[in-house]
Amino acid sequence: MLLYDPTVTGPEYNYKRAAAIQSIEGKKIGILENGKLNAIKMLEETAYLFEQKHGCSIEPIFSKNNAGAPVPHETLSLAAENIDFLITGLGD
Amino acid sequence: MLMPIEASRIHDVPDDPIDAIDYCYNQGWTDGLPVIPPSVARVDEMLTYEGRPAETVIASHSVTGFECTIHAAAVNAVMAGCKPEYFPVIVAALDAMNQPEFNFHGSAASTGGSAPFLVVSGPMTKDLDMNSDVNLFGPGNRANTTIGRTIRLVLLNVFRMIPGVSDKSTQGNPGKYSFCIAERSRGNPWPLVCEEQKYPEGVSSVTVFAGGGFCNIENHGANTPEQVLGSIADAMANYGCITLGQSAVVLAPEHVRIISAAGWDRQQVKEYLFTKAYRHVNDLKGVGKFRQRDYDRQHSNGGTSPLLIENQLHRGLTPDDILLVVGGGDAGGHSSFIPSWSRARASLMQSKPIGVCIDCD
Repeated sequence: MLLYDPTVTGPEYNYKRAAAIQSIEGKKIGILENGKLNAIKMLEETAYLFEQKHGCSIEPIFSKNNAGAPVPHETLSLAAENIDFLITGLGD
Repeated sequence: MLMPIEASRIHDVPDDPIDAIDYCYNQGWTDGLPVIPPSVARVDEMLTYEGRPAETVIASHSVTGFECTIHAAAVNAVMAGCKPEYFPVIVAALDAMNQPEFNFHGSAASTGGSAPFLVVSGPMTKDLDMNSDVNLFGPGNRANTTIGRTIRLVLLNVFRMIPGVSDKSTQGNPGKYSFCIAERSRGNPWPLVCEEQKYPEGVSSVTVFAGGGFCNIENHGANTPEQVLGSIADAMANYGCITLGQSAVVLAPEHVRIISAAGWDRQQVKEYLFTKAYRHVNDLKGVGKFRQRDYDRQHSNGGTSPLLIENQLHRGLTPDDILLVVGGGDAGGHSSFIPSWSRARASLMQSKPIGVCIDCD
């Protein structure tokens, strides 16, 4: 019996990991929050630790309008222009 | 857009049907239940119900880039147990799910555990012998069951929404096996959903809604629209469900008879439900669920609806956020409410005509 495969092959991506930053001392941190309950609170607390322990500065918060969708490319591009690294995480 | 079908994606398996079913299990192609082995002949027969080339892409996954062709949908429809004549409903449903506003990735991946709830409306429900009557959500009807099941198999096999890997549902819901009903036209006093959606006369539609678990609303003592709808609004506004999300309400014929006898039309019903499905701000704060952002979204700048009341968070943004469907058996005061997966506007219900192309190039 000949059966069709119900799966599909996905596209091939040529993504590479960004080079790791050598030190976080004094770097600019971005915060990306997903709009869920407690998300900002949790991320701000985390960023505060970087600020206290490593002298990092905190840039304005980037927000997702839709927690259930990927972050818009424009948001990431804007963040990349203005920060050294981004912290994110889920609310709830 | 066309995607080539690779000949290498045909599997030569033992002719014994049980062995072939086991082969499908071993490949990880099932939802846990046995599937019909997708033989080349059966898939080709399914494809006779779609006029476009089999390589046509009908839905794409925003995150992984996986694309569902008509061919892939047909393979999964065979596996689900569909008759070929069901296929146009599946194609229309996938087309609806592919609208960005539906956000099928989010609803399929989320801890929320939603399932695409399909409501088929119009004359095609009779052509396909779909069930809009007794035991509406229950087992026993091939079209309802297998059309709904196909959508899940497509999510599993094509878009790789794998439980525990890319589907992170905390508890899921039984609708994730199949969640498809037909709208009842017999004894329905109101225009059908497909008519309300303004499709041309005689054209059926399928509406997809990223739905949470099913909530039964029992009320055998109600004798007025306010009593019937008051109990439904209470379910819509329970602490576990109240959000800015949309709603699906399936009214039992017994409840519909009470409402229509009083002369209420569909819009009045939706407005009443919207008006009564609310929680006071302080009560929401009491259970830790109040979010100022949600309240502002509903009430700022004069509010999203003139029916809103200060210091109350209503379910949804307007009465038109309620999908109102008639369905079920003649006997019994059992309606149902299906909450949205989305707590705000992350997924909005979508509809498409079945088997026709309206305003297409």
